[in-house]
Amino acid sequence: INFSKGQMGFKRFVEAGRVAYINFGEDHGKICVIADVINNNRVLVDGPTLGVARQVISLRRIALTDFVVKVPKGAKTRTIQTAISEFGLIKKWGETKWGNKVATHAKRSKLNDFERFQVMVLKRQKSYLVNKEVAQASGKKVHKKKTVKKETKQLKPSAISSLTHTHTYQPVSYTHLTLPTSDLVQISVVAVSLKKK
Amino acid sequence: MCIRDRYQRRVHGDYLVEEREMGKEQIALKKLHQYLLVGRGKPTDKDPEPKVFRMRIFAPNTVIAKSRFWGFMRKQKKIKHSNGELIAIHEIINNPSRAVKVFGMVVRYQSRTGYHNMYKEYRDTTTCGAVSQMYMDMAGRHRAREETIHIVRTCMVPVSKIKRQEPKIFSSGRVKFPLLQKISRPPIKKYKAFARARRPTLFLQQMQTYQYLSLIHISEPTRRYAISYAVFCLKKKKKN
Repeated sequence: INFSKGQMGFKRFVEAGRVAYINFGEDHGKICVIADVINNNRVLVDGPTLGVARQVISLRRIALTDFVVKVPKGAKTRTIQTAISEFGLIKKWGETKWGNKVATHAKRSKLNDFERFQVMVLKRQKSYLVNKEVAQASGKKVHKKKTVKKETKQLKPSAISSLTHTHTYQPVSYTHLTLPTSDLVQISVVAVSLKKK
Repeated sequence: MCIRDRYQRRVHGDYLVEEREMGKEQIALKKLHQYLLVGRGKPTDKDPEPKVFRMRIFAPNTVIAKSRFWGFMRKQKKIKHSNGELIAIHEIINNPSRAVKVFGMVVRYQSRTGYHNMYKEYRDTTTCGAVSQMYMDMAGRHRAREETIHIVRTCMVPVSKIKRQEPKIFSSGRVKFPLLQKISRPPIKKYKAFARARRPTLFLQQMQTYQYLSLIHISEPTRRYAISYAVFCLKKKKKN
C-alpha cells in the first residue's frame, strides 16, 4: 500500500524523524523523535533536549504529531539534538493546541488549594461575562446588580493569568454572594440543643 | 533493610524492579542476560589436563545459566556437574539502544513430533532483546516453550545478508506507515480506575479514514497454509 500518494487520507506516519507524543509510561506527557522503526510494534525513540532518553518504546504508547524533523534513519542523539533546535520543535510544540493543552494540564495538576480557588473564581468571572454577552446578543434583559460599596478583594488578573488561559478579565464585585449559611445554621442548632440541657 | 531513594532501581531475583516516585508503581521487567561459561571435567589420574569448554548461554540469571551449561556438558561431552568444575562465568553486557540491528539465530527446538532446526532473524537493539523476541515468537507460532528450545548460534547480520522478509523490509530504506489504532488509557497504571460509571468506548479512530476501506478487508484469504480442520470437513471430497 503506497501511503505517500495520499490516497488513503493518512497524514501522520510512523517514520524516522516523526515527532511523537508519549501517552503512557514513565515518560508520559513528553514529546520525542522517532529515530528508527524496529518493527510493526516498536520504535527507537530519542528526545535529547525534551527529557526523553534514547530507548525502545512500543507504538501502543505513542501518539503521532504533525511534526517531522529531518533526520536520517537511525540518527544518533547528537544529530537529533541539532535537528530539534534547528526546527524549533519546543517552541512549535508549545504553540500548538495539543502542546498547549498538555502544558496547562501539567500546570493544573500542580496547583495548590488557594490557586485552585483563584482559578475557580476566574472561571466564574469569565462565564459571567460570556453569559452577559450571550444574553445581550439574544436580546434578553440583563439583571442590574446592586453594587454594594464594600471593600472587595479584587484578584489581580496579571498575577494569576498564567494559571488559566491568556485572557485577562475585569474583576467583578461578588459581594452579593455570601458565605454558605449551613455552617451558621448548624452552630445555632447545636447551641439550642445545648441550652435545653 | 536499606534506605531507598525515590528512583532507586532494585534487582529482585530475575526481575529488575523500578520503583517510581508516584504511588510506588512497580514495573517488573524480566530480562534475559547473556553469559559466557567456561568449564571442564575435574582432573583425574587418567586425564590430568581435561579439555576446557566454553559456552554462551542466554538465561535470566546465573543460576539457570549454570544449570543449562551443565545440561549441555552432560548431553554433549559426557561431563556431569559432579564430575566437572566451572572455571568462570561472565556476563556479556551489551550497550543498549544505540542502533537497531538484525540478529540471526539458528535454533533447535523440540516439537510434539520431533526435533527441528530453524533459522530466525529479528530486529532489535541488543542480542538479548532479539533472543527474547525469538522465545516469544516460537511460543506463539509453534507452541514451543523455552525449555524445548536450544540456541545453536546467534550473530549480527549485515543488512545485505538478511534473509527473512520482515527484518529485510524494516532494515532497508525508509519505512513509513500510519498508526491505525488510537489507544486511550490513563498514563500511569495508578490512575486506572477500578470501577467506571461509563460504558467502555471501543471504537477510537486515529484517522477518519473508514471510508477508504482497502480491498484487503474484503477479499478472500490468500494463505497457502492448510485450511482449518472445520473447513476441510465441510469441503466435499472427490468421488473416486
